Amino acid sequence: MITDLFSIAYRNLRRRKLRTFLTLLGIVIGVSAVVALISVGQGMQMGINDMFEGIGADMLIITPGGGVETGVTPVSSGISASKLYKHDVDVVNSVSGIEHAFGMISDIAKVEFRGQVRYLMIFGVPTDKESKEMSEGINLFKIEQGRRLDAGDQYKAVVAGVVARDFFDKEIEIGDKLLINDVEFRVVGIQKKSGSPIHDRMVAIPSDTARELFDKPEEVSTIFAKVKEGVSPSEVAEKVERAMRDDHNVDEGEEDFTVESAEQMISSLNTILAAVQAVLIGIAAISLLVGGIGIMNTMYTSVVEQTSNIGLMKAIGARNHDIMLLFLLEAGIVGLIGGVIGVSIGIVLGKIVEAAAVGFGIDIFKAAVTPELVIGALLFSFIIGTVSGLFPARRAAKMNPVDAMRYR
Amino acid sequence: MLKEYVRFTISNIAARKKRSMLTILAIVIGIAAVVALISLGYGLQNTIDEQFELMGTDKLMIMPGDLMSTFMGSGTEFTQHELDIVQRVNGIKVAGAMIYKVARVEFRGDTKYTYVSGIPTDETREVIESMQNFNVVEGRDLKESDTNAAIVGYLVVNNGFFEKNPEVGDKIDVEGRSFKIVGVMGRIGNEGDDTQLLIPLDTAREVFDEPDKIDIIIAQTEDGYDPGSVAEDVSEALRKDRSLKKGEEDFTVQTSEQLMDTFSSIFSLVLMVVIGIAAISLLVGGIGIMNTMYMSILERTREIGVMKSIGAMNKDVLTIFLIESGFLGLFGGAVGCAIGIGIAKAVELVISQQFIALKTAVTWELIAGALLFSFIIGIISGFLPARRAAKMDPVVALRYE
Repeated sequence: MITDLFSIAYRNLRRRKLRTFLTLLGIVIGVSAVVALISVGQGMQMGINDMFEGIGADMLIITPGGGVETGVTPVSSGISASKLYKHDVDVVNSVSGIEHAFGMISDIAKVEFRGQVRYLMIFGVPTDKESKEMSEGINLFKIEQGRRLDAGDQYKAVVAGVVARDFFDKEIEIGDKLLINDVEFRVVGIQKKSGSPIHDRMVAIPSDTARELFDKPEEVSTIFAKVKEGVSPSEVAEKVERAMRDDHNVDEGEEDFTVESAEQMISSLNTILAAVQAVLIGIAAISLLVGGIGIMNTMYTSVVEQTSNIGLMKAIGARNHDIMLLFLLEAGIVGLIGGVIGVSIGIVLGKIVEAAAVGFGIDIFKAAVTPELVIGALLFSFIIGTVSGLFPARRAAKMNPVDAMRYR
Repeated sequence: MLKEYVRFTISNIAARKKRSMLTILAIVIGIAAVVALISLGYGLQNTIDEQFELMGTDKLMIMPGDLMSTFMGSGTEFTQHELDIVQRVNGIKVAGAMIYKVARVEFRGDTKYTYVSGIPTDETREVIESMQNFNVVEGRDLKESDTNAAIVGYLVVNNGFFEKNPEVGDKIDVEGRSFKIVGVMGRIGNEGDDTQLLIPLDTAREVFDEPDKIDIIIAQTEDGYDPGSVAEDVSEALRKDRSLKKGEEDFTVQTSEQLMDTFSSIFSLVLMVVIGIAAISLLVGGIGIMNTMYMSILERTREIGVMKSIGAMNKDVLTIFLIESGFLGLFGGAVGCAIGIGIAKAVELVISQQFIALKTAVTWELIAGALLFSFIIGIISGFLPARRAAKMDPVVALRYE
């Protein structure tokens, strides 16, 4: 029965090729725009998530300064009047649930290589065994070539892969000499590219050397803390907050520091990204609405044209819901076919955007084509078709067979 | 003649009410979206332009680091030394320095973190105030003898920023040091600026423990000098001092015009992408018109045959159908325009209350352009169907059933 209806619906569509084609085109355009935007957006989101997951879900990051009311959170310590000190690292380390915490100091400094000058972010990293092991687990600090900074190193440096390859006319190699604020350092390692714009522009040196270089004997810029296995990072984050509040003698809500877990950072970033995406996809979805109206229009015309046929079908025993189903199927098929073509074109568009982005040197995202997206888009376009066909189909179903057969 | 065409068209459109309505609805949606986005977008752009114009075109902004590092903090540092260099450049009338930090601000036991800027209280104060749109609307401005005095942004005293709204004359603590509020600034239009505090530069240096650092230098050029070329000179002087080659600058020199241009071009790009995405629905709407016209021509094949056999020329038939499709577009455009403006006004209301004073730009050009555009969409979409109608063989058309 359903196959009969299906083949009638299909034949009807075939008969009016031009009209069907134009109706389809409307849906194709809408679906491909939405699919392309979603795949690019999701790809971007996944790229950013990967970056943050590299830090590790069990990692807490403590930065100086409270959350600014206006939402303009300072990205690094330089702009905040509050400061963190070595003492704070001890406070964090004493919190139960923290496996290990270390402080990093960072500042921008003049880096000279073979007479060429660049200004780069310098990170002073601790070289004790525990901190070293911990930073090995953080994706932002993975080593590609050479070695990590070791205890006892003084004027040694590890440079980010991007810095080594792209920042100076000559590529920096292991064993090369750099001048940082006019002090000579020897490069012992090159870091893997992480995708984080800050950490791909950094040079790491031992923290004691950095303290001397920047004349900041007690300050730390960021504290990284690893949560013990089996405890919830957000609970420990609260404990750390409480301990630091007590130590700094401030009330809740008035902290001069911020404790964030990698998870929280991902989720706050995702919220922003999702909002932007929602707006764009919403605007693109307007064209789907318009395409749906097109289907509705075509279906009304088709119902009017087939009035006498409908009358005939009813006269030989077709029931209201058979007629209804017939026209719903017809509209649904238009939606579905439009969806199939639209999804394919949308995926291609997404890949083109990806290729263009790579061409511009943005390689953190891949257009994501998930099965959910494909199935969702197909289902959605089928639904658009049937919903748009609902009113015309109901009109056809409710026709009085006698009047319908008389209609010319 | 044209009048008759129009009457004929309207009766045709009215004859198939439902189909015409749906076709027009599609165009209405598309035009409404595009009109709303354009008027909001340009409204926002106007607001921004106004702010830039208030600065005056004779100002230069000189910052350490590139534009990116202003947001990241740090950057290379400027000190009094760089300020001296800038002041010595030919064509610079006056140059002043500013430092700013996010600091702990406390009022009657309620603590907030917000931007606190140290600005000079000598004669260079004015150039900074005009560049940053600071103007005091209540109380007084900072003066040279002030040490522990502050002027505060509009929202600090008006919007429940603190549990109790402070007033002129109240004491407020910045990083533990007590300041007296002597003045309130007028609304600048963005939350960041409207929640800041300004304190004398020398005091700020003490509070923040930054004896030499300068975050930004703002300079005014002498009358008769071209700000662009003065900016070049400043850049060269700083390069020379730091022995850097061109292209290796670790600082940024921008005229207010360049700043505005940079901003405008980014903004237009974003706006264009958004409007482009919205315009996809217009394309789909146009396809809808084309479809409707094909159907309409098919239904009226015999009618066309009659018209032709009693002497209508191909051109007449073409014109009739083009006018019909043009009208479908135009009606859609008129309704869409009205709805689009309505949406924009509604958004304006919401945004003005919550964020910044925004005035939607509803210009005659926009309305006329949208109407014309929708009419053109109608005509273009109708062209192929109309040509098919015009080329019909009257004999075949009359025989059609």
